[in-house]
Amino acid sequence: MLTVILQQGINGVVVGSLYVLVALGLTLIYGVLVQINFAHADIVTLGAFTAYFVTHLFSGNYFAGIAAALIVGAILGWLVNAVIFAPLRERANELLPLIATIGVSITLQNVMLVLLGPIPYAFDTPYSNNVIRFGGIFLTMQSVLIIMMSTIAIGLLYAFMKFTILGKALRAVSQDRETAALMGINPNQLIMLAFVIASALAGMSGAMLGPVLVLTPFAGTTVIVKAFAIVIIGGFGNVEGTIIAGLIVGLIESYTTQFLDPGLIDIVVFALLLLMLAVRPTGLIAEKREENV
Amino acid sequence: MVSAILSSRRFWLIMAAIVIGLLPMIFSDSYWRTNLIVCAINVLLAVGLDFVLGYAGQLNLGQSAFYGIGAYVSTLMIMKLGMPFWLAFACGVLVAGLAGMLLSIFAVRLRGHYLAIASLGFAVITYQILLNWISLTQGPLGIYAIPPPPPLRIPGLPVIEFNNLANLFYLTAGFALLTYILLDQLVRSPIGETLTAIREDEISAASLGINCQKWKVLAFAISSAVAGAGGCFYAGFVGTLVPDAFFITESFTILAMVIVGGMGTLIGPVLGAILLTVLPELLRGIGDLRLIVYGVLVTLVVLFMPGGIVQAGQRIAARLRQRAGAGDTVSRT
Amino acid sequence: MTKRTFRTLLMSAGLVGGIFAGSATAVLAADKTIKIGALFPMSGPGSYFGAQDKQGVELALEQLNKAGVNGFKFEVKYEDSACGPLPATQAVKRLLDQFKPDVVIGEECSDATLAVMPIMEQAKVPLLNAGSSAIKITDPGNPWTFRIMPNEVMQGVDIATKAYKQLNARTAVLLHENTNAGIGNANVFAETFTKLGGKILADIGFGRDVNDFTSIATRVASLGKIDVIPTYTLEGQGLKITQALAQAGVVKGGGGQAIQLGTIWLPFGFEQKAGKAAVGYIRIVQFDPTDQRDVVRKFIEAFKAKYNQDPTHLNAHAYDQVMLIADVVRRGAKDAQSIRVGLAATKNFSGVTGSVEFDKTNQNTKMDTIHYMETQPDLSWKAVK
Repeated sequence: MLTVILQQGINGVVVGSLYVLVALGLTLIYGVLVQINFAHADIVTLGAFTAYFVTHLFSGNYFAGIAAALIVGAILGWLVNAVIFAPLRERANELLPLIATIGVSITLQNVMLVLLGPIPYAFDTPYSNNVIRFGGIFLTMQSVLIIMMSTIAIGLLYAFMKFTILGKALRAVSQDRETAALMGINPNQLIMLAFVIASALAGMSGAMLGPVLVLTPFAGTTVIVKAFAIVIIGGFGNVEGTIIAGLIVGLIESYTTQFLDPGLIDIVVFALLLLMLAVRPTGLIAEKREENV
Repeated sequence: MVSAILSSRRFWLIMAAIVIGLLPMIFSDSYWRTNLIVCAINVLLAVGLDFVLGYAGQLNLGQSAFYGIGAYVSTLMIMKLGMPFWLAFACGVLVAGLAGMLLSIFAVRLRGHYLAIASLGFAVITYQILLNWISLTQGPLGIYAIPPPPPLRIPGLPVIEFNNLANLFYLTAGFALLTYILLDQLVRSPIGETLTAIREDEISAASLGINCQKWKVLAFAISSAVAGAGGCFYAGFVGTLVPDAFFITESFTILAMVIVGGMGTLIGPVLGAILLTVLPELLRGIGDLRLIVYGVLVTLVVLFMPGGIVQAGQRIAARLRQRAGAGDTVSRT
Repeated sequence: MTKRTFRTLLMSAGLVGGIFAGSATAVLAADKTIKIGALFPMSGPGSYFGAQDKQGVELALEQLNKAGVNGFKFEVKYEDSACGPLPATQAVKRLLDQFKPDVVIGEECSDATLAVMPIMEQAKVPLLNAGSSAIKITDPGNPWTFRIMPNEVMQGVDIATKAYKQLNARTAVLLHENTNAGIGNANVFAETFTKLGGKILADIGFGRDVNDFTSIATRVASLGKIDVIPTYTLEGQGLKITQALAQAGVVKGGGGQAIQLGTIWLPFGFEQKAGKAAVGYIRIVQFDPTDQRDVVRKFIEAFKAKYNQDPTHLNAHAYDQVMLIADVVRRGAKDAQSIRVGLAATKNFSGVTGSVEFDKTNQNTKMDTIHYMETQPDLSWKAVK
């Protein structure tokens, strides 16, 4: 039984770190803009497909696929910001970008449907079916890679936010826009930067998720709702909180599957979310914010 | 004189009633009459959402849940308890309204996106309960052969059957019009002003002695009860219930109707609901490109008409009037 | 002004004219045409079915319209029914009002099919279904709805009996998607298997949005000795489940004991995608590409020539739907009423997925559509008798 509990713990951490990658992008954009990019899910999907095709193009080099997905994500993020969010910024209505990006999401999904078809792609990397076993525990190399890459990406992002001037500026903007402006920071460029980083992360998470997901044009939408939940549980715009919340949701998923029923995962996750909102609306780790509560 | 008539509400309401009366005669085939009923149901959902969103300023993404609760509660009352339709209808509306009040407990504490996500969470949980509680709701196995509303027998008139699409349209659209009139009265009453005050600035509203919490609860209850009514009509009209019809994406579709039409006006969501219902149907002719065009159009409308169709229309009207030389200011609907 | 012109004016107001013009399908010049309405999910995740169905239909049309049947040509109009009751209702009404079909084929999802059945009955146009497995469709039966595919009870009873009697299975774990078809099929298996004396160790259902099956496989591995694992999912999730079960060392493909059992949901070519993990998988295939019957060989050859790929069971059963209608026309049917009568009178029609003969509830009773195949170590199939 102990092995099973340990095994499910590992399973949860693997899935959780994937969720963290997706949710971090949402958190970053929310932190800076207080707005939601609904097309984030489709950037994940596009990242997955990019990785799939580039990996095949470079005769199975998965890392080339990951790099390409990262770049495609960054470009898409820049585009979404330039076309949707920037023009709508002067209208002080947070619902407009939400609805506009719903439109973008519908468009992207259906363009992919026309181009790529609805039949799931089998995206096996050289690591997917390479299983490591020790003491009754099993783990694929893909999972090891997922945890490694997530840790590196999260670590880099964290270091960037904490120690570089740009990162500090991003945090300043997300905490207090007026002060940031006084500091001589151009908020428009910073917002663009946030979008590029967030979407590059989304593209990369797509590349990592590709071999895990049922890869169709609708793949991203299956993880985005949970990513929303993670963003809230972690406290909107809070990087540390998002990481912890992502891992918690991953663990909830595997333990609910083991001890309850996989059909109940969403109920448990969102019940936790409502509970959090009821008792501690600032999220797991409180950060000072003036509005919302 | 003419402009006095044009700006009178009674004139427009009578016009609306006439249009509703004429529509099934113009659209005599069963396909378009079906779409008309879907329009009427979506108008209910959108107007209901706009009341809590556009007037009370509460971002509610749980509309799909209240829609589903109305549909399932009324249907289970009819199919399991043998309750007459209109009593079941009342129960569906009531339970949806109560669920809205339950959710508004959060609204009392939260604002903005926090409330949006709380309501989204509520919608996810409701959907999952409908899906997983198979012994009660049949879950994905579905409920079939749900009867339409029973015939209306008014002495002295022929019996009005609701398995007839035109009559069912008159019923749903009539109910939608009635709801519209009631909400219109409400938003122009002191209650509406109170809600708007809360939307604009909750703190100063409270300092004026307004009990913000009480009014938010009321706004939520009304909004979700209206969505519940939409659900009751949906069940009787489609005849089949599966939880997928009330997945959270439905909430976003309803929200899009409100935004595309024009938030904070009542006529806006009506237009938005009609447009977003009819558009995908008209686009059926272009086959696989249908939803691509639909998605692009939704994005473009938001980008180029951020105030929705209503505001864009007002602007065009104002420009035309200016050109005609009349300096009338545009009246707010 | 007539009603119609007024309506057209009303609609085109505010709309790009071209869009609407595109929706009016060209009516074929030949007056002797059998119109087939095709109600398939073409958008959303359900388009998995629609896209493959369309390929099969197109191939059948191409072959039939070369010479025609009894002087009739065939015309098909597709309408997106999106796998849901309301969109299917809208789509079928559009078909009935504007295209005025003699017969309609589809839907795939059981709830959508069930929602359109009363509409078809009212319009007195036959509905020929292949892909929906819910028992309700032909029980108690609707005079206007016909089903080619074996329903969930026929498949479930057969596979559970096979598992108990021939594979000597005594314990089973059920894995199924939480859909009408998934739950229905799993329930029938559980009932039959338990009645025979077998034991269901766990019944695990999951939404179609579940991607990672490692947790589920871990749970299955923790349940002790398992003989069979009947699995009811579509291709995408099926692939992930099979690989996860192999990684967890549960199934034969991963060095374990358990045999995965499947129904007709998985396509030909699944083994190649799943790789070694699929070894030992025993499943019902409705369309057997190794079948040596002439009709099957010709279908595969024509399909490969047209699309440059191997046909799936979905391609095959859509092809059969149109071919069965052609057969009815060959026997003298010419409109909705006579097609219905003709379908009901079908005797031993031989399609690529097997033979067809309907009972009183319009369910195909021929079980030769059920073949059992076992995946071999070289990923080829061996028929299980």
